[in-house]
Amino acid sequence: MLNINKTVENGKAVFALEGRLDTVTAPDLENEVMGSIEDVNELTLDFAGLDYISSAGLRVLLAAQKKMKGRGSMTVTNVNGSIMDIFEVTGFSEILTIE
Amino acid sequence: MTIKLNGRIDSNNAAEIENDILAQLSGQEGAPVEIDASGLEYISSAGLRVLLRIRKNHPDMRITGVNSEVWEILDMTGFTEMIPVEKAYRVVSIEGAEEIGRGANGTIYRIDRDNVVKVYNNADALADIQHEREVAKLALILGIPTAISYDVVKVGESYGSVFELLNARSFSKILANEPERMDWCVKEYVELLGKIHSTVVPEGKLPDMKDTALAWARFMQDHLPAEAGNKLLALIGSIPHDDHMIHGDYHTKNVELQNDEVLLIDMDTLAVGHPIFELASMFNAFIGFSEYDHENIKRFQGFDFETGSTFWHKTLSAYLGTRCETKIREVEDKARIIGYTRLIRRTIVRGETETEEGREKVKMWTEELLGLLDKTDTLLFSRNELELEAATGNLDEVQLFVDERLAEVDCPPKAQMQIGVAVEEIFVNIASYAYAPDKGKATVRVEVTEDPVTVTVTFVDHGVPYDPLAKEDPDVTLPAEKREIGGLGIFMTKQIMDDVAYEYRDGQNILTLKKNL
Repeated sequence: MLNINKTVENGKAVFALEGRLDTVTAPDLENEVMGSIEDVNELTLDFAGLDYISSAGLRVLLAAQKKMKGRGSMTVTNVNGSIMDIFEVTGFSEILTIE
Repeated sequence: MTIKLNGRIDSNNAAEIENDILAQLSGQEGAPVEIDASGLEYISSAGLRVLLRIRKNHPDMRITGVNSEVWEILDMTGFTEMIPVEKAYRVVSIEGAEEIGRGANGTIYRIDRDNVVKVYNNADALADIQHEREVAKLALILGIPTAISYDVVKVGESYGSVFELLNARSFSKILANEPERMDWCVKEYVELLGKIHSTVVPEGKLPDMKDTALAWARFMQDHLPAEAGNKLLALIGSIPHDDHMIHGDYHTKNVELQNDEVLLIDMDTLAVGHPIFELASMFNAFIGFSEYDHENIKRFQGFDFETGSTFWHKTLSAYLGTRCETKIREVEDKARIIGYTRLIRRTIVRGETETEEGREKVKMWTEELLGLLDKTDTLLFSRNELELEAATGNLDEVQLFVDERLAEVDCPPKAQMQIGVAVEEIFVNIASYAYAPDKGKATVRVEVTEDPVTVTVTFVDHGVPYDPLAKEDPDVTLPAEKREIGGLGIFMTKQIMDDVAYEYRDGQNILTLKKNL
């Protein structure tokens, strides 16, 4: 289960995620993000409600990061300890801007 | 030769009675004698001496129909140890009595506020009563809460055994009248079931349920296509011997709530065996018996088919410790194989196939049984193992199943997520590559060992041999634009687990994850 709460305003998009970002739910997030960031220059992924991420979720983050490259910034916020570990193990803590 | 004694025998009339008896027995020295004491109200020592003198010429003497006052005298004077003495059976009426339970061998009625009587179907039931008393005692000693009969009585032409059962209500009654207590009933019912199934029975004390089931399967050989018949026999034959207790007729009329205590009654079907046999009889009680005619369960249990089905499903879920539907269905299907076997046999043996309805039932159950036999390779099951189609759509079921097992060992959240990630990476890998483009099954097994507490998750599939660990690790130091996502899942799995191992054995890919908690 993944709930995606999206707010887009003045070129700023915030995606607040709740639940699990896994093989089953990652395509939903990918569609949402890729379909709505054409005119966005500041993308924020709020992980406050996210308690799980697998490689399928990382793949979406990487794709979004690549897409935002050259047109603005992407920030991941409120990452919990377990997910932070995953970022560190995979080197994603170096790639992503994490607040 | 029977001698009837009446009224009172004491020093006033002992000599007269002795002469009378001697006259009746004259010329029959050595013949067995039955003293019918059903009319005897009192006997003094003078009377007892008469009996002893007669016994000298008739060593094979027994005294029958003894009332409780006379029994006291015979017992106190040591007569009951010298001479076989049979008590008179109290007569109990069940007219207007409420039926509170019904089992394979008899029906239980409440005769007053504190007592119930189990009336046996078999007119010559003394041996059955003795058996049930013995097994109930055995169960009580082994820690199963049950009631033991304290008296044998005559009910019409049948025998009955009397139990004390104060203010007790069966779970069937609770389910029928207080549906809001269903979850409470499930919890208590499953707890008692777990207690029964974890009780080890000393060898030879109880019959082996496997023998009974094998007899059913042999009977079925004449009623199934040869291949299916052989498979049924082989499936039951390969269930290993199990010395744990099973009740054998564990439905909700046989579980009573007495004040705050949950009691098991109707113990005559007690046996030892694998729990699948128990689940089979439970399936029959809640579903099988009433599958053709849903009104059946209402007549028997007092609640409707839907209540019975819901109770059964919740019970199986709690018993297996899972809400994973695939798992529940897997075990239910195994139980149905034995359940239908029993139902078909029962219907044929009882001659019910003389009727259209009987034939319809047998046809329906036989079709179900053939379908189940076709897709089943074992009747064994484990709470720790889940077999399902290797498909990404089943990931949630796998995660649920693994999480439930982890919840039982108080797994910390971080380790739980790491195990979850590893499980996902491996399962999705199998789902994507093991059988592509065809379909196939995967088995997920979760084991926990102590000291240090270690969780081991094992994946088994029969797909193409493939070692995911052989793949080169990705370079995780590259910047985003140079990153490839492939191989990251397996790399993560290796990093966050304490041990990951692969082997190909007997046509199976076996991948093992270990995590120390």
